[in-house]
Amino acid sequence: MSATTVQVRPSAERPAGGWTVVCAQELRELWLGGRGLVLALAFSVLLSVIAYLTATNQALNFLEQRESVNLTLQAAIAVGGLLALLAAADTISGERERGTLESMLLTPVSRLAITIGKLVASLSLWLVAYAITIPYVWFLGRGIGLVDDALVTGLVVGTLVAVFLASLGLIVSVFTNSNRVSLSVSLFLLLALYAPTQLPSSAQRGWAGESFLRVNPVTAGEHYVGKIVVSAHSWHEDASWLVAPLVGAAALACLAAAVGARGIRLRRGTS
Amino acid sequence: MRLRTPRAAAAFVTLVAALVGAQVAAAAGEELGVRVRTTRIAASLGDKLRFATVVENEGSTTTPPLVAHMTVFSLEDGTYVDPEDWSSQRTKYLAPLPGAGSRAITWSVQAVNDGSFGVSIEVLPRTGKGTPAVGPTVRLDVAKRDTLDAGGILPLALGVPALLGLLTAGVRLRRRRGRPA
Repeated sequence: MSATTVQVRPSAERPAGGWTVVCAQELRELWLGGRGLVLALAFSVLLSVIAYLTATNQALNFLEQRESVNLTLQAAIAVGGLLALLAAADTISGERERGTLESMLLTPVSRLAITIGKLVASLSLWLVAYAITIPYVWFLGRGIGLVDDALVTGLVVGTLVAVFLASLGLIVSVFTNSNRVSLSVSLFLLLALYAPTQLPSSAQRGWAGESFLRVNPVTAGEHYVGKIVVSAHSWHEDASWLVAPLVGAAALACLAAAVGARGIRLRRGTS
Repeated sequence: MRLRTPRAAAAFVTLVAALVGAQVAAAAGEELGVRVRTTRIAASLGDKLRFATVVENEGSTTTPPLVAHMTVFSLEDGTYVDPEDWSSQRTKYLAPLPGAGSRAITWSVQAVNDGSFGVSIEVLPRTGKGTPAVGPTVRLDVAKRDTLDAGGILPLALGVPALLGLLTAGVRLRRRRGRPA
């Protein structure tokens, strides 16, 4: 049996800027529904534990202070990206599972607008996570002129990583019927992307090791943050490490928009 | 001395060349001088410092290619120094210096520990032979700076989650009240 055909209104009847309507609705559900706030609360507890453990280390010297800022910032980027991924992985498969996809497709909003609206709403989790990170980075990095650089680097790299991961989650969500499958596949991919950070340093050296780190947007972004925050390099010195996050975010966001515009459809056994 | 076979002659020539080469290299090392413009620097923890050294060829012949290396060490017992933390560029390779020529080298270090430290520069031919020329030690006094007030973390570590917890509870309460009975 083929996929159920849904009559979609001609584009002339669709309001311009429909994605903002979808985005506003998603934001209401995410934040007023309470799910986003619970995730933000868990995120703040995690950062509090990290900040407390590093700040109470009496032997903290200058270099370790930079490393503690780096640790906090990298944890914020990783977990903030994870939150955006989880929210995006729930978008389409979640609608299918809850039986609300059909009614959503009947609204006078294009599938592209639905995709963009849901993607942008998912990214709000990263932005809130970043806002929560600011006081911790300020506390750990004050006194050594590190706060501004750390915050700007974190915002740039974290946003690129979050766009990349949220787009990945949305693509997986379009192709899966079940929320459980979508979340499992997305988490598996996320772990695969973070796995190279756990490789021994000897494996990260050399042409092959460095190339492996450079092409992965997540590892390349984290490496760049480390160079700015710990090694105090200038912005342009390691700018080549930003290529993968930049290209990855742009490519996957475009792919997610294309996949969403063509691939969101009802499937057998779902409504 | 008479060398009877071509192999013995070749070995003799090689030995003489090696001995002459070693002497030249040693002479190059001995004719090198390292000057520093300042021998004492006061800094605070975390400061980035730059200082210059001048490598001079005090002889009349051109030296072989040279290598200059910076060493950082603590003048106090019990302070661990990892030179990699202080500077990522501690070795510099120099082209041959002509007779009576000199070249300035700038070194960058970041004070990552507090206390008294010595920084010294040594220069030797890239052949690795001969005695290195060592410049005067630069004394670096790094003042301690209280980088972190550990006591201040508690209000932040507890305050942010508490604020978000209150917000979450408020939103949930509002939703519950808004629902029809």
